[in-house]
Amino acid sequence: MSALTLGLHIMKQRLSAGRMLVIWPLLAMFILFSSWGLSDPKANLPAELIIDSAYDVMFASTAFIIFSATMGAVLISFDGISRDRLSGVLEVKLSQPIKRAVYARSLLIGHWLAIFLPVLVLNLVSLLIIWHRMDDLPSLEELFIYTLATGLLLLWYTSIQLLASSWAKDMGSSIAVGLGVWVLFTLLWLILTTVVAGLSGVGVENLNSSEYLRIEAIMDLFSPNGVYHHLLELPLSDIDRGISPLSTSIAAILWSVIPLHLFIRRIERMRP
Amino acid sequence: METCLTLDEVSWRHKVRDFSSWKPWAKKDGPGIHSINLEIRSGSILGLIGPNGAGKTTLMRAICGLYECEGFDKSSNSRRNGIGYMPEQVRWEGRVSVKSALNTIALMREDEIDLDSIIKTVGLSSKSDHFLDDLSQGMRQRLSLACALIGNPKVLVMDEPLNGLDPLAQRAFCNLLKDLAKKGVAVVISSHQVSDLEKLVDRVALLHHGQLLIEGTLPNVRKDLGLEKESDIVEMICSVTGISPEEVSLELSNDDLLPFKNLGGEEE
Repeated sequence: MSALTLGLHIMKQRLSAGRMLVIWPLLAMFILFSSWGLSDPKANLPAELIIDSAYDVMFASTAFIIFSATMGAVLISFDGISRDRLSGVLEVKLSQPIKRAVYARSLLIGHWLAIFLPVLVLNLVSLLIIWHRMDDLPSLEELFIYTLATGLLLLWYTSIQLLASSWAKDMGSSIAVGLGVWVLFTLLWLILTTVVAGLSGVGVENLNSSEYLRIEAIMDLFSPNGVYHHLLELPLSDIDRGISPLSTSIAAILWSVIPLHLFIRRIERMRP
Repeated sequence: METCLTLDEVSWRHKVRDFSSWKPWAKKDGPGIHSINLEIRSGSILGLIGPNGAGKTTLMRAICGLYECEGFDKSSNSRRNGIGYMPEQVRWEGRVSVKSALNTIALMREDEIDLDSIIKTVGLSSKSDHFLDDLSQGMRQRLSLACALIGNPKVLVMDEPLNGLDPLAQRAFCNLLKDLAKKGVAVVISSHQVSDLEKLVDRVALLHHGQLLIEGTLPNVRKDLGLEKESDIVEMICSVTGISPEEVSLELSNDDLLPFKNLGGEEE
């Protein structure tokens, strides 16, 4: 049995779960409304936010994806294993003759697709909104990088949350770890970056200084949200934060491989 | 009867928190099973009996390959192919239909599986489209049984399967197990409902403190323990644990307080 077949089955179960009634509107509000607002030619935007093209709108709206879609990944995956463990269903599943590594991969595929597909659908709708409002569409290369980066970001959050779910002895601990990771990377990373900059002797009174931006770009490689932005900046010629595409790619690969490896190892050693 | 699984000196220790260490993650060996030798035979129903904490569930999990321990004639992967496992009191829940939950388990096996026939066998046909949240405990037990039957296993391992079933369902369940045994399926079952177990099993294995003290047909076990012909499973447990059937209390039946006596009556 392939991990994909079982993963698709898990995805269907997750998509029909009651919590999707909360996640769908949450995603729709953030993704569609941000595209609608940012593509408005009359919109009063901050001076540093220059929007000239469809990709600029998509790039700016990723701030909202980081808030909503990553939270959706946490909400979908927090009980991916802990619930089965508490109810005893995990014992039934682990006694089946499927290889543990295949089962781990199918869990990851199922939970990742359950958040990525809604985000993908809403992104396609937001493209139509941008087209309607600006009469412009991103190039295929931009669209590919945008979709790939979003897919990877959700994969990283899903694998981290599933790992937390496999460690946790109860669902409360699982969601606490997941939300803690989310808060760290989404809300607290700026503080951590400022602390590191301060310790490195870089003045933090001007957050637009070249030294601070350099430190921020390096620190971003250690955060999934930061690597996501580095990936999205690849097609943008007017943004150069001094991080090579190779460094960004290596960071993206490491963020994909390390949590996945830890998760598979955890499932292989897991006892009900 | 042909032997389908052999256990040779199977041991497993649970890891428990070591409070003597300052490290909160420090673990030490805890209770488990020790040097279990057992033959599981096709077409036979083996009852695992013993007081709480004797190691019945641990032994069942080891048989099913949930614990990586040595001493089996087959690897845990190949064992899992031929074993159907029904754990104790699985709380199936969620907005997932019975059929979808069964399909998840079926997808974890390689074989072509006729789920409708399994659903019919366990009496869940009228509930197959219901959500797991809407099932009663008895229906959940039937669903666990259905999961164990997926893939036509050669060995069925069942931990307290009669819990939560109404008397009619219990009778039907016992009949189903006898039918399966007639077809050559080996059944390993543990139950605290001793009267039902006595009628059902061909052989019993008596566990205490993680050790297999005695194993055989009920008449042979009675004879080896020096018990009368009509003595029941409770008397067998009392005999090996060294407590008088008249003095049984909840405090005494606590595993930590039970004296360990070997078959010669010598206390350890």
